[in-house]
Amino acid sequence: MKHRAAYFAFDRFPSAKGSAVHIAQMADELFDVFGGGLLGVLGGGDLPRYQREGTREIARFGERIPNLLDRVEAFSAWVAAHLAPHRETLEICHVRDPWGALPAVAAPGRGYRVVYEVNGLPSIEMGHTWPLASPRTLGKIRELELFCLERSDAIVVPSEVIGGNLRGLGVPAEKIHLVPNGAEVGPTPPRPPDAPDRYIVYVGALQPWQGLDVLLRAFVRLQDLPGLRLVICSSLPERRARTVRRLAERLGVAERIDWRFELPHADVAAWLAHAAVSVAPLTGCARNLDQGCAPLKVVESMAAGVPVVASDLPAVRELMTDGEHGRLVPADRPAELARAVRILLEYPEAAAALGARGRRRIEDDLTWARSRAALADLYRATACRADRPAIGGDTHVLA
Amino acid sequence: MTPCTVTTGFFVLGRCGRPSVADCPRCRRRVCAEHADPQSGTCPECAAAQGYGSDDPHDPTWIVRYRRRHYEQAHASYQGGWTTYDDYDRGAFNPGDDWSYGSGDFGAGDDGGFVDS
Ligand SMILES: [Zn+2]
Ligand SMILES: [Zn+2]
Repeated sequence: MKHRAAYFAFDRFPSAKGSAVHIAQMADELFDVFGGGLLGVLGGGDLPRYQREGTREIARFGERIPNLLDRVEAFSAWVAAHLAPHRETLEICHVRDPWGALPAVAAPGRGYRVVYEVNGLPSIEMGHTWPLASPRTLGKIRELELFCLERSDAIVVPSEVIGGNLRGLGVPAEKIHLVPNGAEVGPTPPRPPDAPDRYIVYVGALQPWQGLDVLLRAFVRLQDLPGLRLVICSSLPERRARTVRRLAERLGVAERIDWRFELPHADVAAWLAHAAVSVAPLTGCARNLDQGCAPLKVVESMAAGVPVVASDLPAVRELMTDGEHGRLVPADRPAELARAVRILLEYPEAAAALGARGRRRIEDDLTWARSRAALADLYRATACRADRPAIGGDTHVLA
Repeated sequence: MTPCTVTTGFFVLGRCGRPSVADCPRCRRRVCAEHADPQSGTCPECAAAQGYGSDDPHDPTWIVRYRRRHYEQAHASYQGGWTTYDDYDRGAFNPGDDWSYGSGDFGAGDDGGFVDS
């Protein structure tokens, strides 16, 4: 099977993580535009190494290589090998990280265009998740990122903050295209049968920069509210929750927390829809501030119509306005976070109005349909630029 | 009757479950009429694997071959670009050194997702 499009991500797929929703939407659009394609992702567990569905293929990298740098290098080699059979037909290769970008941009004499989607930069991210990583090593990763950014034909970013950061690194502004994260606004799903009467909800991963410690400390300050529970819908498996659970025990709030792990996307939507408040307590660390982030949980909470309390970071301000679509509070301040949540709980009508306006904001500006249309335009424009016709000539030119 | 065990779906995965009619000649799993390749009779997983030069999707040696080929190419085309990692660089990225200290296994959620929201 020869493809005109390929999408590579150093990420397990499918999975319960927000990134999987993002990959599903982007790859689906790419393959719609080009009549099929190859999706190259991480596998492992029960996931088959290869799948074929009509004109689409999924290939999964499942090597158990313990060292992360060894693993990403092996992934790059694997991507190179999976691009090779499509050399003659490929028009667009969409990548999501430098490990996929490197083999895509550096293939000698490539005839396809590379769209590099930058949701963040490992040179910043890894400094936060791997405390032993030295500046020298992160510098090498930065060099690799710059190498790939320079050679990509188009760059997609989910937020202005990330775009601005890339311009700061010398990426020409005209190469950068904003395609925000979206959400679906649909009918309200039924209340989860095991949902407590009144709860605040956290949805997402558990890394330190997510700010769960701030949320737990805020929750301590809400102990006087009878029956109030905190539901944490973790996108990571239970064994990754140890640090957060230990802190909850130390703070004396463990008994009032309900954990759910790796729920399917539809179940998370139900937990969001029936929460009193959804909290996105992202910390004000360099990872969130300088690099930027595009927290899908904020968009999905707004789409569910639940009032959001989020950290006041530039990337979040792009999504919502304080007092109109939700509440923004200073990052890393448990007392302020607790106060904002308490007020929403005390004034449910005002809270519901925020939720409704947040939902409308998504309907009007931040649907996946809208983001996908922008992406489709970019694919067409990039694949068929006049200065270098698409491979295969006119038969592949799309209107 | 053994049902066909081919994984179906793109974003939400399931099992085919139709009645199987044959064995895949490569991996021996039972496949239904719809999922057996009309020419070779292989299952879709084996058929796709062959397209990528890997005869057996469970053969661990292919990655070694790919890696060697990639680095031969890499040294020809990335000269002067990014530098390669040494043992010192690699040393900081062993399992257990990250924030989730102690988890060195490879289940769901342990891999990738550098910038997950
Ligand atoms: Zn087979
Ligand atoms: Zn079948």
